[in-house]
Amino acid sequence: MERLRKLVFLSLLVSLGLALSIIESMIPLPFAMPGMKLGLANMVCLITLVIFGPKEAFVVAILRSLTFALATGSISGLFYSLTGAVLSTIIMSLVYVYFSNYFSLIGVSIFGAIFHNIGQISAASIIMENVKIFSYLPVMTLVSLFTGYFVGLGSILTTKNLRENMSRIAG
Amino acid sequence: MTKWDKCLIVFTLIASLMGLYYVKVYVSESSSKYISIQVDGDEYKKISFGTNMEGKTIDINTEFGYNKLEIGKDRVRIIEADCPDKLDVKQGWIYNPGEIIVCLPNRLIIEIKSDEKTDDDVDYISY
Repeated sequence: MERLRKLVFLSLLVSLGLALSIIESMIPLPFAMPGMKLGLANMVCLITLVIFGPKEAFVVAILRSLTFALATGSISGLFYSLTGAVLSTIIMSLVYVYFSNYFSLIGVSIFGAIFHNIGQISAASIIMENVKIFSYLPVMTLVSLFTGYFVGLGSILTTKNLRENMSRIAG
Repeated sequence: MTKWDKCLIVFTLIASLMGLYYVKVYVSESSSKYISIQVDGDEYKKISFGTNMEGKTIDINTEFGYNKLEIGKDRVRIIEADCPDKLDVKQGWIYNPGEIIVCLPNRLIIEIKSDEKTDDDVDYISY
């Protein structure tokens, strides 16, 4: 029963991440940079990391990337989002598990956002065989400070409520 | 929001601003434009733009005639010529890759070229 509950909840989180990804791709941004986005789906990853743990967060991140590629049909974008998601989840897990005394979820989220960009840009430079794409990185890290901050803030509020409700359901 | 979060934010801010500055300097230095001087269809000389080339003049003395080139910041023009109509002098500065100055009587072509293949640049990348 416990396993089933976990399975259902993780599936819900994946679909929530998918929905957030699709919605955020519809939000127009004030300045158009290729690959720039709000990273709302990172919130789901962060919540999974807090509620379940690194392994589950990893599964959710990969599944979300795969389902997003299936939903939008942009298979060429799959490689970028997958490398970004994997790298950012690894870093977020490390920071959350080992340094949660020092960093709040905001810090963890900013780390995730920065390394998502690094992963994505690395993938892009490998695919296009052009190292000059890395000149985007400073702009992207600057943007990921803001997005990371608000994603972290959202995750703190969500996990606080979610923990209470989860214990009520389980109890 | 802990003390370390603020440290992280400040550190990232500084690092990315430094990165931006570095990129700006690096990109402006590594422009791949150069001047190609062709006489009678053959390449006579290649000159790359650089800060040490600003304001320099180059004399081109060939069997077909005499022209004098002036190099500016990322641009080039002809200031003297012994051709009768002086059309090349009147044309003035050229800046962008692909632009040319032609002096037909002297069989001279000054062209700005670029190492980068500007034609097959990626128009848009969708993620």
